[in-house]
Amino acid sequence: MVIRDRTATADDGIQGAVPRLVLEPGTVEEAVGAMARCAADRLAVAFVGGGTMLGLGARPARLDAVIRTGALSRLVDHAPADQVVTAEAGMTLAALNEALALHRQRLPLDVPFSSRATVGGVVAANTFGPRRTRFGGARDLVLGVSLVRADGTPARGGGKVVKNVAGFDLPRLLVGSLGTLALLTTVTFRVHPLPETEVTLLFPGLTPEQVRALASAWRAAQLEPSSAVAVFASDRLDLGVRFEGFATGVADQSARLLELARKSGRAGEQLDADGAAAFWRRHDAVRERGSLRVKIASTPSHLGDLARSWLPSLLGELSPSGAVIYPTLGIAFASGEPASPAGLAAGLRDARQAVGAAGGSLVLEGAPAVIRPVLDPWGPPPPSIDLMRALKQRFDPDRRLAPGRFVGGI
Amino acid sequence: MSGRASVTELAGRLSAVVGARNCYTSASELLTYECDGLTHGRTRPDVVVLPGSTEEVAEVVRLARAAGRPIVPRGSGTGLSGGARPVPGSVVVALSRMRRILEVNLEDGWIRVEPGVINLDVTRHVSAAGYYYAPDPSSQSICSIGGNVAFNSGGAHCLKYGFTVNHVLGARVVLHDGRVVDIGGPALDTPGHDLLAALVGSEGMVGIVTEVTLRLLRKPEATRTFFATFPSTDEGGEAVSRIIAAGILPAAIEMMDRLAIVAAKAATGLDWPDVGAALLMDADGPTAEVEDLSARAVQIARDAGALELRLPRNEAERQLMWKGRKSAFAAVGRISPNYMVEDGVIPRSEIAPVLREIESMAKEQGLRVANVFHAGDGNLHPLVLYDAREQGQEERAEQLGGDILRMCVRRGGSITGEHGVGSEKAAYMADMFGPDDLETMKWVRAAFDPDGCFNPGKVFPSSRLCGEKPGPGGVEHPAVRSGEVQRW
Ligand SMILES: Cc1cc2nc3c(=O)[nH]c(=O)nc-3n(C[C@H](O)[C@H](O)[C@H](O)COP(=O)(O)OP(=O)(O)OC[C@H]3O[C@@H](n4cnc5c(N)ncnc54)[C@H](O)[C@@H]3O)c2cc1C
Repeated sequence: MVIRDRTATADDGIQGAVPRLVLEPGTVEEAVGAMARCAADRLAVAFVGGGTMLGLGARPARLDAVIRTGALSRLVDHAPADQVVTAEAGMTLAALNEALALHRQRLPLDVPFSSRATVGGVVAANTFGPRRTRFGGARDLVLGVSLVRADGTPARGGGKVVKNVAGFDLPRLLVGSLGTLALLTTVTFRVHPLPETEVTLLFPGLTPEQVRALASAWRAAQLEPSSAVAVFASDRLDLGVRFEGFATGVADQSARLLELARKSGRAGEQLDADGAAAFWRRHDAVRERGSLRVKIASTPSHLGDLARSWLPSLLGELSPSGAVIYPTLGIAFASGEPASPAGLAAGLRDARQAVGAAGGSLVLEGAPAVIRPVLDPWGPPPPSIDLMRALKQRFDPDRRLAPGRFVGGI
Repeated sequence: MSGRASVTELAGRLSAVVGARNCYTSASELLTYECDGLTHGRTRPDVVVLPGSTEEVAEVVRLARAAGRPIVPRGSGTGLSGGARPVPGSVVVALSRMRRILEVNLEDGWIRVEPGVINLDVTRHVSAAGYYYAPDPSSQSICSIGGNVAFNSGGAHCLKYGFTVNHVLGARVVLHDGRVVDIGGPALDTPGHDLLAALVGSEGMVGIVTEVTLRLLRKPEATRTFFATFPSTDEGGEAVSRIIAAGILPAAIEMMDRLAIVAAKAATGLDWPDVGAALLMDADGPTAEVEDLSARAVQIARDAGALELRLPRNEAERQLMWKGRKSAFAAVGRISPNYMVEDGVIPRSEIAPVLREIESMAKEQGLRVANVFHAGDGNLHPLVLYDAREQGQEERAEQLGGDILRMCVRRGGSITGEHGVGSEKAAYMADMFGPDDLETMKWVRAAFDPDGCFNPGKVFPSSRLCGEKPGPGGVEHPAVRSGEVQRW
């Protein structure tokens, strides 16, 4: 077995940490070989898929090698009748969804940069999009994984059926672990049918209170949108709500939501295909652009704080700037270019303090080099940090997997 | 054993923490705690304590550990895989006194409860406001949230709504050294490793859960149900496949075979016809959507060869249909002196061939198997019928049950879809996972509980504990016997 390797260039770096060696396994067996080599040579190693989320987390404390998973891009198995798919870790979400679409199915993880983001990367970084509202995130869709441990040993967890409670839940444990516990080589997901139709409604120019009231109203009316996103437009919010499914149900739910809004004096409209695409592009731009990218996780009842206080304190320091809120999840994303680094660092600190006091978190998904040294990308570690350290100690006792990149310096 | 405090000494110290009334050591008091819902495997613990708060649990753990005792957490004791079965010399920590509902936040959709709270009481608490807790094991009127968390329990409706793991937002846990740790919380995506994923489904082996924050859902606007009969499970299985292939996600879709239908009829007096298979499907969601889905599914069932289709005219009729379905399990007691229940999973597209294979495997052993199962997610509950009075039947039933589980693994499935591994299925873990897979899982456990003091001997295959005889039994869980719940 010859694993492709080469000398690294600056492009192979993670936040400026450049490895000596790049390994590019083309099969799962080669990935095992690559990990074994890193173990034998005691190399500090990080994993790169599409490279779309390398701004998440801190700069690696040490980095000898990078394993790029891009050549691990096969669809291993798709059982349409079982709605289960297994893909190699380096397959892009776009390629996976193209293959699934042939059978009128999809993996409803509508992540940013889906043409580059890989299956393994999305799981490791726990990336998601607006459809999390209805379908959940990676942890709600993953069924099984194969992985390679720090010691070079391949292992599996979970299974290939939608229901399975045998053993400790390695697949979900790896969701969001950012390459600190093991290399993912294949992932098995539950997939969903492609909807017959989808409709986006736009309610422009709302106050945070109006967004909150409308969300309460549709919940009271038992409507079930698949996405809800409020895009910041100067001091107002443009709320987009998407329904998906069979045409009858979608038409009925859309009409009912428009009526609910009308009754409370809010104007809304059903966007045509172009209008809907344009709205979702506005959302995507916030998620994908900017040297600074921030995620705030709180709860839906803090929408007012998010929109009136936490986000504005950041957006004031960015130009251009943008923000979106997923009101039913209590999550927001902001992005842009810093006007003054010092002001931005202070703004981030203030926002983080306030979010934390309300039980939430503020995490950097991307930051210019000037911000990095003055702000921990994760914020204060959660009270369970000791357990995370213990976990890391078991999985990677020599601290060779993405050392220093994770929460609390893990 | 040297170095170990005597039972009396230890009980004295524990009583000082939880109160003498909540600390048991006499044989008659311990009897209830010798087993869980799997009543044939019994081991007497040395002490049972019922703490009333997180602080008491932490103190109990410290004392038990200092005394060198294994600790076995316990909820309602309804588990069906021997998960709460004590080990010799153990201290059982029963959470049944910790039944407070601590906090509710409907706008953010969560509720914080103590672990002894009964599953159904969560829904009852928020039902008037139009909310509910989705995971609905059939034991929901008696099983505890702590047990659900430990076993990642599911129910008929987890096809659409997921299992316990999809509905736990946070937990407070007492660790092996008495430390109390909070994991997660109402806000999503706590930075760091997903420790909730490690906790949920860990079968009491990582610590004692003393508070849980659960997700609450708004009730669906409408539910539509239909019951369809088929000449055989071939057509029934085909109907399920076609419904799913049409892009319909039922809230629940359940199937029974001939023997299970016969038993259910005998138990409930329902006027179900004598047919080879029956399907019961729920669709739920906004009214217009559900009526559309349900009509499509009914048409598909017809096209797949349904003999008869029944739509309930009102909620009472609907409940009756579900009662028939849910009673099928206990009802087999009417057609066989003894039975054991298995809990395997297969890819759902293979239902028909798998059922045929089970039938021929049963024939080989000279036994009968009734099948009642969650067809939508391929979770089979084969009920192996036997007569313990007949020489050798029990052993053959046990053999058959094991062969069925191994067949599930061969077909790419699992040895358990909802009942957990416990002590009963630990031996089969090696059929599903290799040594390295199991070792990796052990690392997770060891990160929480390095000395393995919580619930030793579960999940991971090992040599049997001394004096134990694994195997099936004909004894019902008391709650099933009394008719309080249907086993399912
Ligand atoms: C009639 C019947 C029907 C059933 N139907 C279903 C079903 O539809 N779906 C399903 O999934 N299961 C079902 N079960 C199985 C059982 O009810 C579930 O596994 C349930 O979750 C067990 O809850 P319990 O409170 O009885 O837990 P126990 O049986 O007391 O304990 C189960 C496990 O949890 C651990 N544990 C309990 N509390 C804690 C705690 N606070 N902290 C840490 N560990 C803890 C125990 O050590 C043990 O390993 C059924 C059982 C019966 C008897």
